[in-house]
Amino acid sequence: MLGLRDLQAAFAGMVKGEDQPRLEAAVVGDAIPAAARLRVYRHHVEQSLVAALAATFSAVQAIVGEDFFRAMARCYVAGDLPRQPVLAEYGAGFPAFVAGYEPSASLPYLADVARLDWALNLAFHSPAANHLTVADLSSLPAERVAELPLALAPGAAVLHSSYPIDRIWQVSQPGAADETVDLGAGGVNLLVLRREDDAAFVRVSDAEGAFLSAAGRGETLEEAAEVGFRTDGAFDLSTTFTRLLALKAIAATQHHFAERVEKAP
Amino acid sequence: MRAVAGIGLRAPHLAEVAHDRPATGFLEVHAENYLTGSPALRTVERARADYEFSLHAVGLSLGSVEGIDDTHLERVAALAERLAPALISDHLAWSASGGRYFNDLLPLPYSEEALDVVVRNVQRLQDRLKRQVLVENPSCYLGFAQSTLSEPAFLGELVRRSGCGLLLDVNNIVVTAHNLGLDPAAWLADLPASAIGEYHLAGHAVNDADGAPILIDDHGSRVSGEVWSLFDAVLDRYGPRPTLVEWDTDIPALGILLEEAARADHALEVRAGADARAA
Repeated sequence: MLGLRDLQAAFAGMVKGEDQPRLEAAVVGDAIPAAARLRVYRHHVEQSLVAALAATFSAVQAIVGEDFFRAMARCYVAGDLPRQPVLAEYGAGFPAFVAGYEPSASLPYLADVARLDWALNLAFHSPAANHLTVADLSSLPAERVAELPLALAPGAAVLHSSYPIDRIWQVSQPGAADETVDLGAGGVNLLVLRREDDAAFVRVSDAEGAFLSAAGRGETLEEAAEVGFRTDGAFDLSTTFTRLLALKAIAATQHHFAERVEKAP
Repeated sequence: MRAVAGIGLRAPHLAEVAHDRPATGFLEVHAENYLTGSPALRTVERARADYEFSLHAVGLSLGSVEGIDDTHLERVAALAERLAPALISDHLAWSASGGRYFNDLLPLPYSEEALDVVVRNVQRLQDRLKRQVLVENPSCYLGFAQSTLSEPAFLGELVRRSGCGLLLDVNNIVVTAHNLGLDPAAWLADLPASAIGEYHLAGHAVNDADGAPILIDDHGSRVSGEVWSLFDAVLDRYGPRPTLVEWDTDIPALGILLEEAARADHALEVRAGADARAA
């Protein structure tokens, strides 16, 4: 007889597609054989996880169609079952899987669309948090502003693609006009953001993208600005920073502010 | 919580419920859908002003021999603190093994060993939440030869040893009884009545398993006639309790879900009326 530990390990193996004759022998079979009974569970695990991926990677599914997506997602699920029960947090490895998935090799932008879907999902599920404002900055001496270590607001992320994935994503949305996207139109940098009720993305320039990536690494405003200038000599820090503050893309988590807030009446 | 009917609140209805505030006895949400920072949590928190809540977990894996996952337990506990629900529940099942989570309510052998495991996990959950939880009977598609207890006997022992309550899912009784060749009336006969804290109702599908019909608990249709009949028998046997109508796949218009809840309310009122006349 299988002890509970062995039984659950064998069941887990069966769900992953392994042959588990000892488990099958432990199940009562009758008009419905034990193997068919076990199959109900294996199918449900697979179907429910494929459905979870379809919800998270909706643009990918819209591009390749439901049947293709299901086949692709089934392969992914088999190799990377969730590590915890929150399905909104399942699928971090899916974009990389898509990148290496041979049957979709003719859609070279697909993995980048998956990365965009995933970034939007992360942004949607990230916590609401205070963002840096112009008022915060104006209360600091100029030299402190330059030394300010930056951080992106929770959920904010920068993506670069060699394809116009923002347009591809938009035309894949339900109800989108039937338009064609010129794949040769060039690459994009996208800033993904959590908003009040949803998540969204905006296009940013190469220099802005470089600035944001530096901010995401925790570099100071001065250091990030230098990265921007190196990317594009015409980089306008003032315009960019004002825009990013208006987009609520920069976090207000610096200890500079903690000090100030504590001192505030 | 009063013995009225409520509905399972699902994402497609969230905005409508938040805006229109339709009349229903209570709302039940799946804990695992509200553990992130998504705006949905804020919507649900606002709805607390108008509704009583039941928090229904599907991923604590109370039957895992490896125990409850610490991180998940803490997240559910934090949510329970925020929502302060009238009821908290999960299932007599397991869903995690070896660090992987299967997103299904997997079956347990009903043995002394499994009973020890579930009692330990339920006690840990109740200790952490500092309150009683309800444990729901699952839909089963198989039985284990090594089981020494019937499912209701296992649940009765679990109640006795852990102090938990029971969530009686009437649809799951019909599904399990059909799939395992049991008599639903006999299944119902001998439960600890005072431990029953909630009922669930839902629809099921009929699939083919190697030529034989098997009932699948898909929550994808109206409550079946057989389940309504058994619900009447449950009410006769154990009396009214808060009753939830669930719908999780092919989710219909909110109005249809509310219609089903109204039907459950009617059955509860008929039973309460009969009790009042008898008293």
